[in-house]
Amino acid sequence: MTTASPPTVDGADRRTPSTGRAAAPSPVAAAAGWLVKNPLLVLLVVMVAGVQLATGSQLGWGNLRGVFLDAAVIAIVAAPVAMLVIAGYIDLSVGSTLALGGVVAGKVVQSGGSPLVAVGCALLAGAAVGVVNAVLATVFGLSSFIVTLGMLTAVRGVAQLVSPLPLSNFGEAFGFLGIGNIAGIPLPALLAVAVLLAAGVFLTRTPAGRHVYAIGVNREAAYLSGVDVRRIPFLLFVTSGAAAGLAGAITVARLNSAPAGQLGAGFELSVITAVLLGGIALTGGEGSMVDVLVGVLFMGLLRNGLTLLGVTTFWQNVASGLALVAAIAIAAGTHVVRGRMQAREAHRPDEPATAG
Amino acid sequence: MTVSIRGLTKRYGPTLALDHVDLDIAAGEVHALLGHNGAGKSTVIKCLGGGTAPSAGSITIGGTTHDALDPRSSIAAGIAVIYQHLSLIDRLDVTENLFLGQETTTAGVFLRRADQRARAVRLLERVGLDVSPDTPVRQLTIGQRQLVEIAKALSREARLLVLDEPSAALSPVESRRLADLVRLLKAEGIAVLYVTHLLNEVVELADRTTVMRDGRVVWSQPMAGVSKTDLVTAVSGRAHGAAVAPRPVDPDTPPALTVDHLQAPGLHDVSLVVRPGEIVGLYGLVGSGRSRLLETLFGRRPVTSGTVAVDGRTVRVRRPDDALRAGLALVPGDRLRQGLFGSLSSGENTVLRVMSLTARAGWRRPRAEQEVFRSTAAAFGLRPADPEVPVSRLSGGNQQKVLIARWVNDRAGTRVLLLDDPTQGVDVGARAEIYEVLRQVAAERGLAVLFASNDPDEVVALAQRCLVMRQGRVVDDLDMRHTGEEQLLDLIHTELEPS
Repeated sequence: MTTASPPTVDGADRRTPSTGRAAAPSPVAAAAGWLVKNPLLVLLVVMVAGVQLATGSQLGWGNLRGVFLDAAVIAIVAAPVAMLVIAGYIDLSVGSTLALGGVVAGKVVQSGGSPLVAVGCALLAGAAVGVVNAVLATVFGLSSFIVTLGMLTAVRGVAQLVSPLPLSNFGEAFGFLGIGNIAGIPLPALLAVAVLLAAGVFLTRTPAGRHVYAIGVNREAAYLSGVDVRRIPFLLFVTSGAAAGLAGAITVARLNSAPAGQLGAGFELSVITAVLLGGIALTGGEGSMVDVLVGVLFMGLLRNGLTLLGVTTFWQNVASGLALVAAIAIAAGTHVVRGRMQAREAHRPDEPATAG
Repeated sequence: MTVSIRGLTKRYGPTLALDHVDLDIAAGEVHALLGHNGAGKSTVIKCLGGGTAPSAGSITIGGTTHDALDPRSSIAAGIAVIYQHLSLIDRLDVTENLFLGQETTTAGVFLRRADQRARAVRLLERVGLDVSPDTPVRQLTIGQRQLVEIAKALSREARLLVLDEPSAALSPVESRRLADLVRLLKAEGIAVLYVTHLLNEVVELADRTTVMRDGRVVWSQPMAGVSKTDLVTAVSGRAHGAAVAPRPVDPDTPPALTVDHLQAPGLHDVSLVVRPGEIVGLYGLVGSGRSRLLETLFGRRPVTSGTVAVDGRTVRVRRPDDALRAGLALVPGDRLRQGLFGSLSSGENTVLRVMSLTARAGWRRPRAEQEVFRSTAAAFGLRPADPEVPVSRLSGGNQQKVLIARWVNDRAGTRVLLLDDPTQGVDVGARAEIYEVLRQVAAERGLAVLFASNDPDEVVALAQRCLVMRQGRVVDDLDMRHTGEEQLLDLIHTELEPS
């Protein structure tokens, strides 16, 4: 709600901010401003309302439960990946890390390990992949895009080496991780909520969380402000790997089989799509866990809505892809509108200027 | 008259960057343009080069009057601006750069390389640059690149050549060669607008000099009979040059910062002390080591040997975090690239570091953070004093206050404040406010302040003591009660003349 104009490129910065806050905006203007800031949420509500009216079945608990089960696995991984994107990095290896976590958990269960030990091993396997990513991207300073793209292929190979033949039949106890309910809510969805909440609290309530943004906005300035610009991204890579491992265990438990070759194929793209849909910019420095949640739900509900409407799989792919492009175009458009709104406030003549 | 500027006015929001500027440059004349940072020189240049459109006024060149120019029409009108940050393309060779945008072609499609190369050879000869036209530009020195830019201007048959602080990054030998070339071009009838800080260049080269202050022309005369003292008076404008007498610091106070025989790449045996409450200027040209010294103290660059002590305790600084823990903080010279988190709010920019210090058991304490912002915003007169404004929307002066507040507040524990070029890109009124803030933090909080500057006016206005740097050494320690702007300008002068 503030004023002032963008800095000039002039050697001498001669602009002075016209001071203070703008007059209290009218409720209509406030609502408009909120809509402009959250365009995807608006689209989401409109879309769900439309599908619900047309089919009458999207908002049924049975249907929503399925949607949440699918979305949960994506959300668990999208949370740490979004934090990496905010810090100016990316993790493309999560699809294969999911596969590795899945087959590791499957192996442990089949050799008599308890479900908890299996989940622990899946987390460790994923974290190990994260450490490799982290060392290459933060210690050696290689491009995280290239490093994790390479790891995407390499880790897929490792998963297939661990389990050349598909595993299956893990028993009911382990299956609970994938399809079990607590108080009627699927366990994976509860885990996803926990992960999103933890990440959200970390990002907003701890100094290290704010440093994630600082690093993404201006790494050099962060370094000169005494921020540890290696350790924070390092830990985020490890977290992202561990989360993908956990997602692997959940997926395997749900499917009751672990085909190392197909498990989580294309999963990294779903994660990145959800993150981008949520409005988290690839350039870093902005975004929140609410954005991630909205992005994940939008993707899940869009696919589900198309299925309910009887759209075939091929057309669903076309629609999902176009939805991503459209969402980003809308986000860019509203960004422009927001800029204009701020500029108009800045140029209101009634504010007397004070010398800066 | 080749070029006549009449009533040129440029308004940025409520601020006048240029206020009815008149300027005439005759063919075959070298016209010097002087003034402090922020006086409006660069805005004049931008209006001429088409980088910005004036709000009012006109530019007449070769009989045609323009209300506004864009880069293309500026070139077509015969104006060539050589900016301080040269605009050549590193990966292309000299010939390609010379003819970029005006390539010689057959049937409008095919490059006539041999033709271009032959013309390039003639142009390079004319500016006295002895390199092959096939050399990639990235292999040239700054001085050589500048000559390529001038050759490019000549190839476009420029009638007005605008040079923006051309000698700032040149060696003495290169500067002399440049001066010879300027005389040559003048003899060919080209009008030259020469923007500079260095009075010696003006005395040596200019036929006429115009001085700007606060967006206005305050002085304009032919150079015959004008002395350097006249120029200093015109540039500084005694009115605001009158510095507040700094409170003297007891020389027996134990120093807050002690640097003892510091050796580092680019620095030679630097020793200095700064006492609590003292403001010391590090004065020297670009490349003298003043910024390098600050960055070395702050742990941004490695130390070879020697010791640094804060409040008498020797500290080992390997990275900025170590320096900050020891109570040494740096406000960097490049605010946008090294200091600010542009899209984050000014509140967040202020508390970015103290966030960790106020936190309890790893949790932020929003109240404590707000208090830090509120108290520093009030103490430093931050406008707007609203923690939610993205810091990129503040003016330069207020951005600088945010960066100072990041290190100087009730929680930060800073003992020594280092500032590199503290008023770069800050307008005149805000500059006085920054000085006031720095005096306040020195006097009231007992901080030792060490700032680097190449602006003698700034050193006179702010410093109690001035350390002069040259080629990585501290060569002089001046008590500013007995030193004036002119003496400092003379010190720059001796640097340019290798004895």
